Amino acid sequence: MIDPVFLEVSVVVLGIFLLMAEAFGLAKEKSTLAWWAIGGLAAVFIGTFFIGPNSNSFEVSGFYVVDGLSLFFKRFVLISTILVLVMSVDYLPIVQRLVPAERPGAGSGEFFILPVFTCAGLMWMVSATDFIMIFCALELVTISFYIQVAYLRRSMSSLEAGTKYLILGALSTGFLVYGITWFFGATGQTNLVAIREVLPLIPVANHPAILFGLALVLVALGFKIAAVPFQFWVPDVYQGAPTPVTAYLAVASKAAGFLVLIRVLEPFFTVPSFQNKLFLALVLLALLTLVFGNLAAIPQTNFKRLLGYSSIAHAGYLLMGLAAIGDAFAGGAVVFYLSGYLLMTFLAFLILVPVTKASGGDDIAHFNGLARRSPGLALAMLIAAASLAGVPFTVGFFGKFFIFEAAMNQGLYLLVLAGIVTVASGFYYYFKVIRAMYWQPAPEDAGPVAITKTSSVAIFILAMLILILGVYPQLLIGMLP
Amino acid sequence: MPTLAHYLLVSGLLFSLGLAGVLLRRNILIIFMGLELMLNAANLSLVAFSRFNLLPNGLPNYNAQVLVFFIITVAAAEVAVGLAIIVALFRAKQTTHVEDLNTLKF
Repeated sequence: MIDPVFLEVSVVVLGIFLLMAEAFGLAKEKSTLAWWAIGGLAAVFIGTFFIGPNSNSFEVSGFYVVDGLSLFFKRFVLISTILVLVMSVDYLPIVQRLVPAERPGAGSGEFFILPVFTCAGLMWMVSATDFIMIFCALELVTISFYIQVAYLRRSMSSLEAGTKYLILGALSTGFLVYGITWFFGATGQTNLVAIREVLPLIPVANHPAILFGLALVLVALGFKIAAVPFQFWVPDVYQGAPTPVTAYLAVASKAAGFLVLIRVLEPFFTVPSFQNKLFLALVLLALLTLVFGNLAAIPQTNFKRLLGYSSIAHAGYLLMGLAAIGDAFAGGAVVFYLSGYLLMTFLAFLILVPVTKASGGDDIAHFNGLARRSPGLALAMLIAAASLAGVPFTVGFFGKFFIFEAAMNQGLYLLVLAGIVTVASGFYYYFKVIRAMYWQPAPEDAGPVAITKTSSVAIFILAMLILILGVYPQLLIGMLP
Repeated sequence: MPTLAHYLLVSGLLFSLGLAGVLLRRNILIIFMGLELMLNAANLSLVAFSRFNLLPNGLPNYNAQVLVFFIITVAAAEVAVGLAIIVALFRAKQTTHVEDLNTLKF
């Protein structure tokens, strides 16, 4: 049996080992580093299945919790990091072209090592139950993301995206710590479990201070999960960042942000005087996010930017599930949705990388005629787009279905109506990609798209999982915490 | 003798000044200074809360003061990475003004 603390520690040790291996030239090819990282993370993933039931020494201090939810998300984060690394190997030529280097290939090793540290931060984040721990884990993730977003130093858009992410990320950190301050001032605690205990005993005179703190923390976490009106960094950063990093931001960072949001809000749902205000705020956020994310996606022509707006829209559906948290299955529905979101988003980005390499850009127009050039890739993209839109027999359909069901049970009819209308607009903009692939002619000189073997295996597995879970969602529901 | 309210007032002022700097100024370096000011506002009020709301045994709650050290450390890391990114941007573009960040538009 493994002590759960060793999971994160071994990920950090793996990262330091890879840094040393890079510095002392142990890896001749830079992609070797990626394979070592994938191997190490896979070993940690297997380790998550051998956690002792009560072998947790950290739990006593109240900083760190290991329950079904955090274990599920640790696996979620590990899988997404492995997929990001697979994608990065494919993306390596673009990195080497756009990073200034004295020798060929220099300066591109860290591109595979930084995600490992981010992974450790995300794993701590999903286990954190104390504001000090939440803050430190969140910053480990955010600061390593600053570097990754701005990694392509010869690409103006990557630098610009990095600067924007830096300023807005640091702004959200400022809101987070000031919010924590007011929580601490009003309750005298930084621990969420302790806050839950003292919250009903707080005199009413202190409630405004807590609400102020809650609002600031909600703003900060709204940045992380890309909820409207805190979404303005998303389109620019998603478009400018290297594609694997965009996928990482879209899936793992958002999922961990949602888990922290659930853990922070949980104590407040138990106290009636906060419950109503919080519920109203969540409904409002969900409504704005749904409408804005879906409508603003319609005119987009760049595929990464389109996926950026689509990720805002998905945050809207997830917030809807969060607003319906009173329903027994709402929590499970949110986790189910996030898992489906991992499969389809990574599938779309895994296909985007070889297409970008072959056709020189990431606009929707670069997908023109893909069905004739590489029918297999086009079919996989069709599955990803259908699942993102929520077509039946894909996992995306059941994700939306369960969330709508939970919202209906809670009487959130307005939200469900907005959800159904925006799903319809989603069909339109995802269909643009399908139209480009199947109906537009390919450029004259275009041959089949070259793709590495690992990427094609990953694409095949993800596409099959989307279809299988679209028919038998029970397989995934059985695994939910 | 300054009370808790005085400290909170100063910290609120610092936070608002930082936020105003971020929203109103156009130079990225000045914006970055504003961000640091916001973090330090939080530090000040954390220490003030910790010193004025004593535990039943008469000691301050040291959790908040530990958090202050973490915030200072993280802010330093953030500055190290942030300034490096700003320098890289300046090398590529010869500017530190936000209006010139206009490559990414649809």
